[in-house]
Amino acid sequence: MCKRLTTLVLLVALATPGVAAEAPANESNWRLGAAVGYGGRTNPLVQSDDIPIILELDIAWFGERWFFDNGDLGLTFADNNALTASFVARINSDRVFFGRTNTRFIDIGLDGAQLPAAVSFKPPDRDYAVELGLEMLTGGNWGALQLSAFHDVSGTHEGYEVYADYRFGWRDQRLYLEPSFGVSYKSANLNNYYWGITSEETGFVAPAYEAKAGLNWHARFKVGYQLDRRWALSLVAEYERLNDEAAASPIVDEDSVLGWFAGVSYRFGR
Amino acid sequence: MSRLLVSVLLLLALMPTAHAEEMKLTVKPLLCITDNRNPVCEVRFLVVWETEERGYYCLFNDYGETPLRCWNEEQKGQAADDRAVQETFSFWMTGADTEARLAEVSVEVLHMDSDDRRRTRRTRHVWTIN
Repeated sequence: MCKRLTTLVLLVALATPGVAAEAPANESNWRLGAAVGYGGRTNPLVQSDDIPIILELDIAWFGERWFFDNGDLGLTFADNNALTASFVARINSDRVFFGRTNTRFIDIGLDGAQLPAAVSFKPPDRDYAVELGLEMLTGGNWGALQLSAFHDVSGTHEGYEVYADYRFGWRDQRLYLEPSFGVSYKSANLNNYYWGITSEETGFVAPAYEAKAGLNWHARFKVGYQLDRRWALSLVAEYERLNDEAAASPIVDEDSVLGWFAGVSYRFGR
Repeated sequence: MSRLLVSVLLLLALMPTAHAEEMKLTVKPLLCITDNRNPVCEVRFLVVWETEERGYYCLFNDYGETPLRCWNEEQKGQAADDRAVQETFSFWMTGADTEARLAEVSVEVLHMDSDDRRRTRRTRHVWTIN
């Protein structure tokens, strides 16, 4: 499926004139910003802490073909009135939840019976995966669509993800409202690496579990209020429903991830 | 004595003119936001001025060489200016000498959308939710 999608994306992109993206004369290549406020992301893993978001940094550079966007490295190979297509390298985002897990002593076994002695248990650790993929951006008065397909190139999970996100921004002078929603298909290899439990990891507390492919969906709502050229108020709420295969994992406690942030942001050099 | 006179003259020269100090000029709104869907900002600007001295005063902006309005023997005034703008511009007040600006206010026009779609892409990292 991934190969077919990649071929399709390449065909569409290459069939269009390959005009490189070009910033207007007065637009800086850099986009630098910071937001301070209060927010977080819930952690769906058992015995885990939510992820606080107090300071957000926005560090991006957009050249004619190359770009760096908050950790993503991209090479744009097609840009025209219809779409912008790029090769992108990134770090998988599923790993972040595994960095905030805790060890606890459990005295109830898998069968619900009392264990002879408490055993320590911590959700298994997972590695970061470097992924390479294709990304297509298109938009107009009807909204904006982002389509992407990424495959692991670091030998970590050896799976792939296909992602689609649609958003519609509405502005009335300083006020900006942006609802968005989308889906993310995660292959069996990717899903199983992050949310499965191998036979080596199983123990008295967690049984072995194999996660198959699944579809996450998400919805998001952003409200912005521009105070002046550089300062803005920002309020974001985001809900992501994990696919059933991930949600059914013994190391998963919640079947969704809720994110939120309220704060003030500053854009440098605008 | 001559030193004192020079010092006083220098001080007077460095001081802003009385007019510039006295003239208060306010414009609403001060920020106008455009995007690709609405690339032109069509707004009624309300300009209010006030000074301590009655006199002849004129209101200008960047869009014309002739004044938008002049007041004779007035100490304060206001004007509404319906305008469609795409660039940052200024309103300013002058006295009888229309070359000397007594007060100036800049209205910023901020274009929020970029022609580069990549600047609108969503990244999905833990540290960015915005």
